[in-house]
Amino acid sequence: MTRSPAFEIFRYTVILLALSVTLIPTLWMTSMAFKPIPEWSASGADLTWWPNEPTLDNFRFIFGESSSELIVALDRTAGKPILASLLSAVFGTLIAMISGTSAAYGLSRFGAGQSLPLALTQLRLFPPLAVMIPVMIMWAFLGLTDTWWGLALVYGIVTLPFAFWLMKTFFDDMPYEIEEAALVEGCSRFRVFMRVTLPMMRAPLASSALFVFILNWSDYLIALLLTTREWVTIPVYMASLSSSMTGQLYGAKAALGLIAAVPPVILGIAIQRHLVRGLTFGALKQ
Amino acid sequence: MVVVDAAGGGGRQDEESRRLGFALTVPAQMLVLFIAAFPLLMQAYISLTDWSPLDGIGWWRAWELWNGFANYSDLATDNRFWGALGRTIIVMAICVPAEFLLGFGLAILFTGNFVGRRFFYSVLLMPMMVVPAVAGYMFFMLFQSGGPVNDILSAIIGSPVQIAWLSDPDLALFAVIASDIWQWTPLMFLILLAGLLGVPEDQLKAATLLGASWWQRFVTIVLPRMKTIIVIALAIRVIENFKVFDTFYIMTGGGPGVATETISIFIYKVTTQELVWGYVAAIGLTILIVLSVVAGVAIKYMSAQRREA
Repeated sequence: MTRSPAFEIFRYTVILLALSVTLIPTLWMTSMAFKPIPEWSASGADLTWWPNEPTLDNFRFIFGESSSELIVALDRTAGKPILASLLSAVFGTLIAMISGTSAAYGLSRFGAGQSLPLALTQLRLFPPLAVMIPVMIMWAFLGLTDTWWGLALVYGIVTLPFAFWLMKTFFDDMPYEIEEAALVEGCSRFRVFMRVTLPMMRAPLASSALFVFILNWSDYLIALLLTTREWVTIPVYMASLSSSMTGQLYGAKAALGLIAAVPPVILGIAIQRHLVRGLTFGALKQ
Repeated sequence: MVVVDAAGGGGRQDEESRRLGFALTVPAQMLVLFIAAFPLLMQAYISLTDWSPLDGIGWWRAWELWNGFANYSDLATDNRFWGALGRTIIVMAICVPAEFLLGFGLAILFTGNFVGRRFFYSVLLMPMMVVPAVAGYMFFMLFQSGGPVNDILSAIIGSPVQIAWLSDPDLALFAVIASDIWQWTPLMFLILLAGLLGVPEDQLKAATLLGASWWQRFVTIVLPRMKTIIVIALAIRVIENFKVFDTFYIMTGGGPGVATETISIFIYKVTTQELVWGYVAAIGLTILIVLSVVAGVAIKYMSAQRREA
């Protein structure tokens, strides 16, 4: 819009200010993750913004190496929680993408499943806590509590609306002529879907799957309710990293937080173009 | 916008496509049914009893603890519930407008080209991609009495500041609100910028030639064009903010006392600490019904508006 030098100065000032507010919390955690124990507990005067003696001890500690400076030892390492987060998020993404993509195609091309858009939008609207009592009872009954596959099933259902809406908008955008040509050549409709449509949709499928994966990976509440010990995910495990003797294990938590935070940020930047579409249920495209 | 596309992308409706269409939607329908129909009936049933998982009897025998609508009348007089609801609304009334204004302001600055635009854009979006539980932990560390927030304040004021943000009932709410604004302003920014970029350049140019000021162009061309997008952005944040749990719970656990106990934290605590699941089921069902009514009215209102437009 306006292009006076004063405006440019104003623009950069505000953006740089926003940039520092954005970065400070992240940088603080990153710095904390590489701090040795004496630098953890900052009491006012000796707060260090950057580690004086950077170390990988925090990462070694959460993966089970005992530390000479910490009296506590972990009764379990971060390995299994990371595995739990990965397995539940990946398989939850598969469930959501397979059922969501096929339903989106069924609705977009054949007008099947008219009730799905409303039902899935409602699913997105409700706070999970308002419906968790029956889920917890059912999961306990089916032996799904505290398993990664039980968690994956809930994730698949919770993120199904996103997979469905994303893929529906992609299918709606896709020209029908190409499929029609294949139909004329005598392919069955199912074959056209599998052999023509899906391969053409490789890029949208990939971005939708990554989007859904980020959502699953970010969950804390559902894992908190449905896992207890064996298959706790990273955030649940992270919250348990404190002891009565040492209090908060700041550095260890920060190290784990960094491990949890990096994948979604990288994936999110990779699919930046489709974020708006995903977040607004396809109402808005970029 | 929720568009129910009835006709589909254009297909001849023969027997084969009808059958395939049905088959393709079955998995999704089953999942919805699995999470909706049976659990809701179960929830309604349990909400009419005093059942708790500690009772040692299966949930199907909960009728032995039948108490009619006692849970619902308890809810009406439960001060902790109404307190949590009120707090949730206060948080929403501060967070959503703040995120909207900050996000919109930033989005306006990002129209037009300037050096570093792409880089700044990517970095500014980052907070919304951070796992909320991790963001909660980041802010937990920031607001420690010996943490960076006090350090920065000390540097500004010139004398040491030692505020115990998270254990002071008045300040804790401020701290959790700050974390929400940090994490979700980028979402407003992202959506509103996409909307701003969709405003036709030539209309703005024409208005400029006619001598319209920046403000006039903004009010008469940009805002009316952005109406739907603004409603969507606000709706998303209102819905998500109402559910807020992860960051708040990790920062304060709802405390000190109940100072930061929002509706989700309240339900979580009653579920896991007091274990009165019959009561929790009643709370959940009430929230579901109220939200459904609100959403129904909102959708009706919006589609009526659209018809008029």
